[in-house]
Amino acid sequence: MSLVTELCNKEDLLSPGISSCIGCNVELTLRTVLKVLGPNTILAIPPGCMGGVGVVGWGKTTGAKVPVFFPLLDNVASMLAGIKLYYEKIGRDVNVVAFAGDGATVDAGLQCLSGAAERGDKIIYICYDNEGYMNTGFQRSASTTKGAWTSTTPVGEASRGKKQHKKDLPLIMAMHDIPYVATATPAFMLDLVRKVEKAKSIKTGLAYIHVYNPCPTGWGFLPAMSIHMSREAVKTGLFPLYEVENGKFRLNYKEKKSDVKSYLRNMKKFAHLSDEEIDEIQCKIDEKWSRLLYLDGLLIGSDGGN
Amino acid sequence: MAKYVVMNGNMAAAMGAKFCRPDVIAAYPITPQTPIVEYLAQFIAEGELDAAFSEVESEHSAMSVIQGAALAGGRTFTATSSQGLALMYEPYFRTSTLRLPVVMAIVNREMISPQTVWGGPQDSLTLRDAGWIQLYCEDNQEILDTIIQAYKIAENSEVLLPVNVCFDGFYLSHMAEKVEVPDQELVDEFLPPYYNCHIKLDPQEPISVDPLTPGSLLIEYRQKHMEAMQRAVEVIKSVDIEFGKVFGRCYGGLVADYRLEDADYVIVTLGSMTGAAKEAVDLARDKGIAVGVLRVRALRPFPVDEIRKKLMGRRAVAVVDRNVSFGWGTGILYQEICSALYGISSTPIPILPYIGGLGGEDLTIDMFNKVIDDLKKAGPYSENITTRWLIRGESK
Repeated sequence: MSLVTELCNKEDLLSPGISSCIGCNVELTLRTVLKVLGPNTILAIPPGCMGGVGVVGWGKTTGAKVPVFFPLLDNVASMLAGIKLYYEKIGRDVNVVAFAGDGATVDAGLQCLSGAAERGDKIIYICYDNEGYMNTGFQRSASTTKGAWTSTTPVGEASRGKKQHKKDLPLIMAMHDIPYVATATPAFMLDLVRKVEKAKSIKTGLAYIHVYNPCPTGWGFLPAMSIHMSREAVKTGLFPLYEVENGKFRLNYKEKKSDVKSYLRNMKKFAHLSDEEIDEIQCKIDEKWSRLLYLDGLLIGSDGGN
Repeated sequence: MAKYVVMNGNMAAAMGAKFCRPDVIAAYPITPQTPIVEYLAQFIAEGELDAAFSEVESEHSAMSVIQGAALAGGRTFTATSSQGLALMYEPYFRTSTLRLPVVMAIVNREMISPQTVWGGPQDSLTLRDAGWIQLYCEDNQEILDTIIQAYKIAENSEVLLPVNVCFDGFYLSHMAEKVEVPDQELVDEFLPPYYNCHIKLDPQEPISVDPLTPGSLLIEYRQKHMEAMQRAVEVIKSVDIEFGKVFGRCYGGLVADYRLEDADYVIVTLGSMTGAAKEAVDLARDKGIAVGVLRVRALRPFPVDEIRKKLMGRRAVAVVDRNVSFGWGTGILYQEICSALYGISSTPIPILPYIGGLGGEDLTIDMFNKVIDDLKKAGPYSENITTRWLIRGESK
C-alpha cells in the first residue's frame, strides 16, 4: 500500500472546518501528524496559528477528536510533562504531544522545553516553524531568517528587516542529548511521517521534531506554491533535513543543489534585499551546510535515555 | 498513642503533603521554602512517599507541571515563596480558573526590592484576587493539619478550587516546635482518593480544555467560580469541624479568636504574629483591660459574616498588617476588615490601621502593648484612619 493510500485510510482527527489560510501547510502537517499518532494522544496547541484557526475549538465546540487544550505560550513542555508523569504513574501509555509554533518554542517556551528535555520527560514536541508570529500579523521571532521583513522588523530608510540570523533550535535541542531530534517539512511527507513514527516509538525521553512551514500569507507568496517553497528550502540548504537518533547525526537530504537567491526572490518578505544581502544569507547557509556535512554519520551526543 | 515530633514549619508542610499521598509533586527551591522540596525528595528517596517528583527548572514550570498532572487526574502538591510565586503568576491564575484542586504551600516572604529573603505575606496577599482559597497558619501544628484540610476543601465537589496554605517564612518555616503527627490510616479515612470528574485530559474521553471562549460564556465561568468560592465558606468550616472529630484539633474554620467573648477591644491578626498578640492580651487582661484577638485564618474566601459577628459592638478594633497596600496608605487586611464592617452600625467602630514586621522584622509583645494602649484611647472612626507604623525602638 502506498503512503498516500495508507494515510487516506486513517481517521482524520481534526475537524474539517479548520479555518486556516489558503495554502497553509501547517494544517496539512498537523492532520498528517495526528493520523500517524492516532487517537491515543493528548494534544497541546499553544496560542499561535493552530490555536487561532480553531484546533482547540470555540466556545463549547472542539476542533479535534483527541483531547486537546491550550497551554500557555510559555509552558507547553511543562504542562505536558505533568500530564505524562501522571499517566506514567498510573501505568497508562499515552502519546503526550505538543504542536507549537516557533514563538512558543524558540522564544517564550524555550526555558521549559529545555528543562523538560534535560529531565527526560517522555513527551513528543513538534514545532511548526513559520518563522514568526504569523497568527497575530507577522511579527519577528528568533526563528525568523535574517533580512526578512516582518511587522516588527519593517523595511524603511533606516531598516533592512531582521538584523540577526535564525536561532538554530534543532541543533540546540540535539545538544541536550535527548533520544531523538529531527527536522522535517511537508514537501518531504514520507520523511516527515517516518520521523513522527520514530518520535512516537521513543520511550526514554523527549523527542523533538522541527518542521519548516513556509507561510504564504505572512511571507508573501502564492498559496499554490506552499509545498514548492517547503521543497526549495530543503534543496537550497536553507532548511536541511536531518535527524539525531541516540546521539548519531544523519543528514537525510544530502544533495544541496540550488543557490538560495531564486528561493528568496520568490517571496515578498525578502523583496527588498540587495544581491549583497542575499550573498550574506548564502554564506551563512554554506557555512552551516559544511558543518552538517562534517557531522553526518558522527556520534555527536549520547542517547540521553533516562 | 499520639506521636509527637519536634519539627520546623517546612517539615510540617512536607509531612502534611506526604500524608495526603499526592501523585505528582513539582517544586523549585527558593528561600525560605527550600527545605520543603528537600524533605519531599527525601521522603520519595526513602520510599516513604510514592509520588512522581519533577525537579523543574523554575516556579513557572512547577505550577505548569502540577497543572498538567491535575488535568490528567492526579492529586498534586507544590510549594513556593515570594519571587517564585511572582514568576508563577501566569499559571497560578489559570490553576484556579481551570478549577483544579491543587494544594500549594506558600512560605510567606517579603517581595523585593530592596533585596530581602525574610518573612512577610506580601507575596500571597498581593494575589488575593486570583481565585485561590488562601488559608494562613499560626503555628507548625496548624500547617500540617491545614495541608490535610486543604485537600479535603479543594476536592469537595461543591468547591473544586486550589488552596494555598500560607505561613510566615523563618518565624514558622525555620522554627521548631512540638507537632503531633497523625496516623496515616486516619488521614486516609479522612481524605479518600481523588477522582477528577469535572475536567480531564484523557484519550478515552476526549474533550477540549479551554477553547477560545467568548465573553458571554466567560462571564458564566466567572460567576460559577465566585459561587464556588462562596460555597467554600461553609466547606472550610465543616472540614475543620470534621478534622477536629477525627484528630482532636480545630482552628475555628475561617477565623480563630482568643479571649474575645467579653472584649471591648480587638486586635485583628494574620499568621504567626498572633502569638505575640496573645501574650500582650494576657498581660493587659491581668491589668483588667478587656481585649482579645481575632485571627483571620481564611483570607479567601473572606469571612465577612464571621468578622461582622465577632467585631460588632466592640469599642475599637486594631488591624495589624505585615504588608502594605500601595495606594491605600494602609495594609491589605485593614482594607478587607473595613469593607466587611461597612454599614454595620450607625456609628462606625474605630478601626486602627497598623503596619509593622515587614521584611522579617519582629512584631514584639511591646508593640502589641502599644496597640492596646492606643485602642483604649481611640477616638471616633474618622480620627483613626491614618496608618500607625510599628517600628523597633519606638514602641515603648
